[in-house]
Amino acid sequence: MLSTLYALLFYFATAMLVIGLGLRIAKYARTPAPLKIPTTPAPTTRSGVFWRMTREVTVFESLFKSNKWIWLFGWMFHVALLLILLRHFRYFVDLSHAIWFWVPFETPFGIYASYAMVLGLLGLLVRRIVVERIRYISSPSDYLMLLLLLGIALSGMNMKFLSGTDIISVKMFFLGLMRFQINPLPTTPALLVHLALVATLMIIFPISKLLHGPGVFFSPTRNQVDNPREKRHIAPWALELEK
Amino acid sequence: MKRLLVILMLLGGIGLSPAFAQGLGPDIPKATGQPHPEGNLFWRMNHMRLLQHDRDLTMHNGDRHIQASLKTCVTCHAVKGADGKPVGVDNPKHFCRVCHDYAAVKIDCFMCHNSKPEEKTQAYLKPKIPDSKELAAYLKETGQ
Repeated sequence: MLSTLYALLFYFATAMLVIGLGLRIAKYARTPAPLKIPTTPAPTTRSGVFWRMTREVTVFESLFKSNKWIWLFGWMFHVALLLILLRHFRYFVDLSHAIWFWVPFETPFGIYASYAMVLGLLGLLVRRIVVERIRYISSPSDYLMLLLLLGIALSGMNMKFLSGTDIISVKMFFLGLMRFQINPLPTTPALLVHLALVATLMIIFPISKLLHGPGVFFSPTRNQVDNPREKRHIAPWALELEK
Repeated sequence: MKRLLVILMLLGGIGLSPAFAQGLGPDIPKATGQPHPEGNLFWRMNHMRLLQHDRDLTMHNGDRHIQASLKTCVTCHAVKGADGKPVGVDNPKHFCRVCHDYAAVKIDCFMCHNSKPEEKTQAYLKPKIPDSKELAAYLKETGQ
C-alpha cells in the first residue's frame, strides 16, 4: 500500500520534473534576446564565452565578485549537493557495469559533503533572517526552498548516521520503478520523510526559483559574444521590418 | 545540444540494461545456523553498528567475553566455492560482498580479520592416543 503510494508519487514527480523542465528550457530557448548586452569585460569569441560560462557554473564567478559571504555558503552548498547526488547513483544503476567503476570511490566524499551541505544552507538561511535588507525582500518561497533542502539533508543524515534503513530494498524499489514494477519499500520513518521531501522538490523544481540552474545558460549578459561591431546583432522580427 | 542528448540517452540505456539475472536484488546466500531472533531486517539495518560496538568493547575496553563475534558471522554465513571450501572476501560470492557490492558500500573488517571460517588445522596435528586394544593389535602385527 505504502509502496504503491510512493511509486505513484515518484512517477508523478519524475513526470513533473522532466516535462516541466523540458517546457521551461524550450521557453527559455525561444525567448528573443533583441539586444546585445554582454556584461563587459566580456569575451570576444565563442570559445571565450564557453570558458566564461564554465567558470560561471563551476565556481560562480560573478557571485564571487559581488558578495563573498553568499558565494562561500552558496558554493559550498552546490558542490556538496553535487557530491551527494553522485553518491546516490548507487541506488539507481547496475554497479557491475564497467562505466560505474567510479561510484564506490566517490561514495565516501558524499558522506563528508552532507555536513558542508547543511552548513551552507544554514549560512544562507541565517543571512535571510539577520541581514535586514535581505529579510525585507525575502518571500515565503525563499525560506521554503532552504527549509526543504535542509529537511532533505537532515533526514538523509539521520539515516546515514543514526536510524539507518534497509538500503538493499531501497535500491530494489527504485530499480523496480525504472522497469515498471513495484517492489516493497522499507517503512522506516526517516526514509519516508526523505523520499517525500525529495519528491516535493522534484515537483516544485520547474515552477520555482531553482530554475536558475538551467536559466543561467540563457542569460544574455553571460552567454553573448562581445562583437557588436564585427557582427550586427539583430532579432529576426527586427530584420523583417527592414525588408 | 543534440549530441549531448544522444550521449545522455546512451548512458541511460546502459543504466537500464537487464543485467540482473535473478530479479533486481542481490543473490543473498542462505546461512547454516538458527535464524536471528531479532529478524533479518534488524540485522540488515544494524549489523554495522553492532560490529562497531563490539569492536569498541573488545579492542578499546579489552572485554573479550562478549556474546557475539565476527568469527560467528563468518562461520554460519560461509559460502562454499567450486572447490567445496568456504570462499574469502576476495570472491564476489562471499556473503558480505553480495550486498556490499550491490550498494557500493566498503567493508573494512577484513583488512585485519579473517573472512573465512577458521580451519581446524590444530586438531589434525595433535597425535591421537591409541587405546590398549589398538596397541595390542599393533604389537601382534609387528610380531613382538
